[in-house]
Amino acid sequence: MKPASAGRPVRPDLRRSRLRDLRHLLLYAAARLLALLATVVVGVYLTILVANMGGQVDELRLVQIRSEAVEAVRADPAFFDMPGEERSALVERQVALEVERLRLDQPFIVRSLDYLRRALSLDLGRAEQMHSDRGSREVRDIIVERLPATLLLFGSANLLVFFTAVFAALHLSRRYGSALDRTVIALAPSSAAPGWFYGIFLILFFAFLFPLLPAGGMVTAPPPESRLEYAASLARHMLLPVAAMFLSSIFVSIYSWRTFFLIHSSEDHVEMARAKGLSARRIERRYILRPTLAPIITSFLLMLIGLWSGAIILEQVFNWPGLGSLLFQAIGHRDTPVIIGGVVIFAYLLAATVFLLDFLYALLDPRVRVRGGRS
Amino acid sequence: MKGVGLGISALLLAAVLLVALSPDRERTEREAGQRAGTVAGAVDAAALAERQGGLLDEIVFLRETDLGRVTGLIEAGSHQLFSQGISSPTVVNRLRDSIHADMDLAFGTSSELTLNPTGPILADGSLNPFALPEIREALNWLVDRRHVAEELYGGLAVPRTLPLSTAFPDYARLAEEARALELRYAHDPDRAREAIEAGMGELGAERREGRWVFAGEPVRLRLLIRTEDERRRVGDYLANLLQGLGFEVERRYRTAEEASRLWIATDPAAGEWHLYTGAWISIVIQRDQADNFSFYYTPRGRAEPLWQAYRPAPEFDALADRLSRRDYASREERQGMMARALELALVDSSRVWLVDQLNASARAANVEVAADLAGGVSGSALWPYTLRYTDRLGGRMVVGLPGLLGEPWNPVAGSNWAFDRMITRATQDPVVLPDPYTGLYHPQRIARAELAVEAGIPVEHTLDWLTLTREAQIAVPGDAWVDWDALHGRFIPADEAHPEGLTARTRVRVRYDPELFARRWHDGSWLTPADFVLPWILDFERASEASPLFDPAHLATFEAFRRHFRGWRILSTEPLVIEVYSDQIFPDAESIVAARAPSPLPWHVLMLGILGERRGELAFSSNKADRQRVDWLSLVAGPSLPVLERLLAGVQEQLQEQLPLPYGDALGDWLAPGEPERRFAALDAWQRAFGHFWVGSGPYRLHSVHPVEGSVVLRRFEGFRGPADRWLGLSRAPIPELLLDGPLVVAAGRAPGANGLAVGGREGREGAEFRLAVTVEGAPYPEEELREVSYLLFDGDGALAGRGEAEPLGQGQWRVRLDAETLAGLGSGANSLELAVISRRVALPAFASHVFATLPPGEEVPR
Repeated sequence: MKPASAGRPVRPDLRRSRLRDLRHLLLYAAARLLALLATVVVGVYLTILVANMGGQVDELRLVQIRSEAVEAVRADPAFFDMPGEERSALVERQVALEVERLRLDQPFIVRSLDYLRRALSLDLGRAEQMHSDRGSREVRDIIVERLPATLLLFGSANLLVFFTAVFAALHLSRRYGSALDRTVIALAPSSAAPGWFYGIFLILFFAFLFPLLPAGGMVTAPPPESRLEYAASLARHMLLPVAAMFLSSIFVSIYSWRTFFLIHSSEDHVEMARAKGLSARRIERRYILRPTLAPIITSFLLMLIGLWSGAIILEQVFNWPGLGSLLFQAIGHRDTPVIIGGVVIFAYLLAATVFLLDFLYALLDPRVRVRGGRS
Repeated sequence: MKGVGLGISALLLAAVLLVALSPDRERTEREAGQRAGTVAGAVDAAALAERQGGLLDEIVFLRETDLGRVTGLIEAGSHQLFSQGISSPTVVNRLRDSIHADMDLAFGTSSELTLNPTGPILADGSLNPFALPEIREALNWLVDRRHVAEELYGGLAVPRTLPLSTAFPDYARLAEEARALELRYAHDPDRAREAIEAGMGELGAERREGRWVFAGEPVRLRLLIRTEDERRRVGDYLANLLQGLGFEVERRYRTAEEASRLWIATDPAAGEWHLYTGAWISIVIQRDQADNFSFYYTPRGRAEPLWQAYRPAPEFDALADRLSRRDYASREERQGMMARALELALVDSSRVWLVDQLNASARAANVEVAADLAGGVSGSALWPYTLRYTDRLGGRMVVGLPGLLGEPWNPVAGSNWAFDRMITRATQDPVVLPDPYTGLYHPQRIARAELAVEAGIPVEHTLDWLTLTREAQIAVPGDAWVDWDALHGRFIPADEAHPEGLTARTRVRVRYDPELFARRWHDGSWLTPADFVLPWILDFERASEASPLFDPAHLATFEAFRRHFRGWRILSTEPLVIEVYSDQIFPDAESIVAARAPSPLPWHVLMLGILGERRGELAFSSNKADRQRVDWLSLVAGPSLPVLERLLAGVQEQLQEQLPLPYGDALGDWLAPGEPERRFAALDAWQRAFGHFWVGSGPYRLHSVHPVEGSVVLRRFEGFRGPADRWLGLSRAPIPELLLDGPLVVAAGRAPGANGLAVGGREGREGAEFRLAVTVEGAPYPEEELREVSYLLFDGDGALAGRGEAEPLGQGQWRVRLDAETLAGLGSGANSLELAVISRRVALPAFASHVFATLPPGEEVPR
């Protein structure tokens, strides 16, 4: 058995058309790649400038280094009887060592370009002030150590919100105007409050007034030794933060997806399908879901890479050791390599995702690649 | 299909909820323990007397940054102690209101106004009134410290006028002088206004329509106000006061970082600021604050522009310098110098001290711990020996910390974070321990000590575990080790380094506990003299450029040590007796011995670190790790552990092949036969059991470390030798509580022999009598534990009219009698009797005051 087209010569105009499409696609991809790369470069360098306040952080650091050195010398009984002048000389030596370690003796512009070069080559290097919880100074270790906790909590919450919202929205779009639909619409403004806001109330109710769940942390202390108990403890500790995130975004998500599906379900081709007497399920799958798949995938992928940033306040409220609080600490310490490390990975992930989406759109929708190729 | 999908989803959800909501084993155990404790109600005295080491079975440290939840977590039973100081009045009031919670107070933070002393004309041509000492001094009368303490700090502060902490020993030693100065500089806005008006006139400013004007422009003050704490309210309060006096005030609200760029980093002559709401922290009780004058008021304090702008009066400068160099011959001379320096500091007033802030350490009501008067729980050296439930022995306790594992842990140059130090302190057993209320050292692993100091050096001796002698000259013996030859790995004796002879100002001879070498490290190995020797070698190696362990970051500290170090030697090992020679002097003999007495570190653990650093794989210090781009040695977690495991395996192989270890020759004499093999085998077993290399000898051992989850678990070290109740006597701060009673009205001016006086006093006797009750927790304060109960008498003008000592009457009762002559000297008006009580057991002095009126001659005392 051969396919129906087997052995049949491809028409020259069709081949030309495919080659033209391929050329346009490659041109489009190259242009997008260049644009994304430029965006990453600009974004990362802006981060370097902002994180260092255009170099003014050096001045702050010097003051901080000097103050710490003075206080350390003053608090140490070993220097108790040292004359003031010698003490000052000692402080100067300590300051000089720290200045050398942090390369503050180099102009900021030189350091900023070095930061950029290393960031773009994904050489994250060593942190200046911080350590991973386990004690490593490698930025990679610092970030990777917090990644699982972030992915677990925010992944669970966001996936739950996403799928619940999409399926609930589909359901509501079929029951437009029902009591449930009106309730969801009425509750949508509740998402104006962030997750940590709900978190505070949830902790108050379920950890203090009715102490059913832990107030914070990732697992019981000390962590259980058995894997099953560890997982159970983890689940217990995740319940409140996941509930907080769920509460803060579910209604508005359902509302927006429901509106989206409602708009699509009133398109002509859907009306035509209904007129043809197709089943509701078939209409939903083939005539509503399939054409709206691209925006759904876009939203899903952007949600996934959004996990990278964590959530600073929510993590603080729930004492969750995630990337959000890590970045917050890094900003507090003005630890440029860690800030850049966090941002550059996010930038690359975002760029890769956008490129992938563009590419998928281009594959799926000829209008995109033609426009892109021409542009 | 749809139904099946829904069913599976529902089942999954139910399973997750079931698992998540099922009772937590740890929580159930904890609650059961708490119930059992509540039922038991009291500690079994016999069991307590028999118990060795820690009073708890397990301590879990948890990261908890949100102070707002402290009371709730204690009430919920999830935490029993919080180490961080709480300064928020709201949180402290919640703690006070809770029947399940209690707290300990610490005094380590002080708040002041830093003034810009440059000028009077600044770079921008504007006037700086604070260039004039009289105007600076006037601020002392302007601010109402009691208002600041009680209203702005919500009662979590005590007024402070002097550059001495009100909780530290120097303040108690100078209580009389301090009280007199505090009264002299008490809140007096009229006097402040007069002084400021006079000063402004002297500077050439004039007052127009209630506003100060200089060279046609309003006098504008820039006030840097810190925003993170109560200093924001202090700044606003001060700004209002200054505006009320006719100044234009620009309020610059700044965080620590933003403010430091202005008040520390810029030249004060540039006029970026005039006043700054400063604060200083001390986490240990400073027994000698003589250096404060030099630090806070003279250019010797710091190298920054602000300090270089200080121009103290020559007398003050010279006095501050002498005090910082401890240039005095006796305690009495020092007292006189300090008293005068305090007076001059207030005249100078480059800083106006406001309050000593109180920080609360929260704990459950059934928990007791010795909290340090300055450092709170986290700064207390005795917490591992005193932390317990008051209603049961043993059990588990959960302690909240704002952060843990801030930096890698190693005993040489590891984490310096206060909260990491707090945890590691429980795993160590120091040879001396500081008293949390006086700062004086007590022996822990020392049987006794002998201190010899050169004649003429003012050193005070309080406790009886050491003897103090004075010698005309202290010669360093020829066999004392004075240096280390890193090239050849040997100690250099004094007679080789100094053939002409060497002398020292002090000699400390420490006789350790005879049972010292019958004690074990946590991994089961016995302590030996090598645990004292290798830390010294390492100290010298890290400062020697010839050594692969050379660390430039260590050099400065080491050089400071070398300035006063004159040598040491081991006189015997059974028991261990070590002699140390040094030129460094502290005013307390106990502090000198504590600074000199060597402490042991497990040499086998150090050896692994040494090997790691020699091979360029690890480094003890952060600085060296960064320079060499290797990992900072952590004995508890992270990438150091696999390296250490490999090194341990290598050392064991090396020993099997009978290859020497580093410093083998120097250490050889101090090692027992077969000791290295036993040590490393024990460490290997320890590491396999607990997954880390942190080995100590304290009452608790490090059981597990969970870096990402943010918890550390300590468990009681079963092998610890030492009664668990040894330090319980220091669990609570014995701060004297005073109740002063006496007549409210007395007749003055009668000649002795005439019928005097007193309402509430005894009829028919001359003079007046006042009674003071000194108690602690309701019981009479033992007389022998009070160093001084003295009084100051001030007349109606606030002038000192008399001083003296109170008489003990027994049972905590004291009497002050003022004779008719003294009363006659007061004239008529409202007088004040101020009592100062200084305890030997706590640095914090207690004060009581009684106001009474004296009637003019001829008037009858109302009944």
